[in-house]
Amino acid sequence: MKPTRSFNESLWAFHFNSGSCNGCEIEIVAAITPRYDPERFGIKLVGSPKHADLLIITGPVVKKMKDRLLRVYAQIPDPKVVMCVGTCGISGGVFYDSYNLDGPVDDVVPVDIYVPGCPPRPEAILHGVVKALAKLERIEGVKP
Amino acid sequence: MGIFSSLLSGSGAWNPLVWLLAFVVAVIIVYLIWSRGEKSYKKGTEQTTPFISGNKEPSKDAVHVRGGNLYWGYTEALKGYYERIVPLHSGDMNDYVLWYLGTTALILVIVVVLS
Repeated sequence: MKPTRSFNESLWAFHFNSGSCNGCEIEIVAAITPRYDPERFGIKLVGSPKHADLLIITGPVVKKMKDRLLRVYAQIPDPKVVMCVGTCGISGGVFYDSYNLDGPVDDVVPVDIYVPGCPPRPEAILHGVVKALAKLERIEGVKP
Repeated sequence: MGIFSSLLSGSGAWNPLVWLLAFVVAVIIVYLIWSRGEKSYKKGTEQTTPFISGNKEPSKDAVHVRGGNLYWGYTEALKGYYERIVPLHSGDMNDYVLWYLGTTALILVIVVVLS
């Protein structure tokens, strides 16, 4: 089914915690509160990767979560965009080179957008979401 | 009475044409919903497996709900009873005949004693 124009503007995101300390989760939740209210633009978190356009990954990908991350990534329909939120997912952060990591995230799945910070502020996360939306529109050929 | 005439009863009317029309309308609605589904998913990949929080899908027999699961609470509550009764059902006809003879003998003794 070819989505309608209004459907293209709405970005549904699935959040995956690959071993985060919950700091980034708190900021993601802060980003969807009425203070910022991204849902007025159709941007919201969904409960299944099958409904998502965007995969938001937090955490440095511990060994137990690698298979699950790969499975969730595979379950998101194309076209999809991956956003890595937080320093841990980008470089391993304070867990860099740990015996218990299979990450950082871009060692496991391809990442399109990096949002640094420990944790990043909600404004930074929303900025990343806007970048994701722009990239998805380019992939879909909606906008150049 | 024609083949398409209405059948009237105390509880209502039934007409094969109305039924057929309702069936056709239902099929059209189902087709419209189905045709609006996402067609670009990749068959034979993870996209056709259920989402179980990222966990691998267990084999069908591992998650099958058996008939016995429906009355699990009943057997659990009467566990003390079933622990004694189930071993007696050995499947051996000799055991059952012995039980039959023993029970018959007991009843006969009781009847004789009471009479």
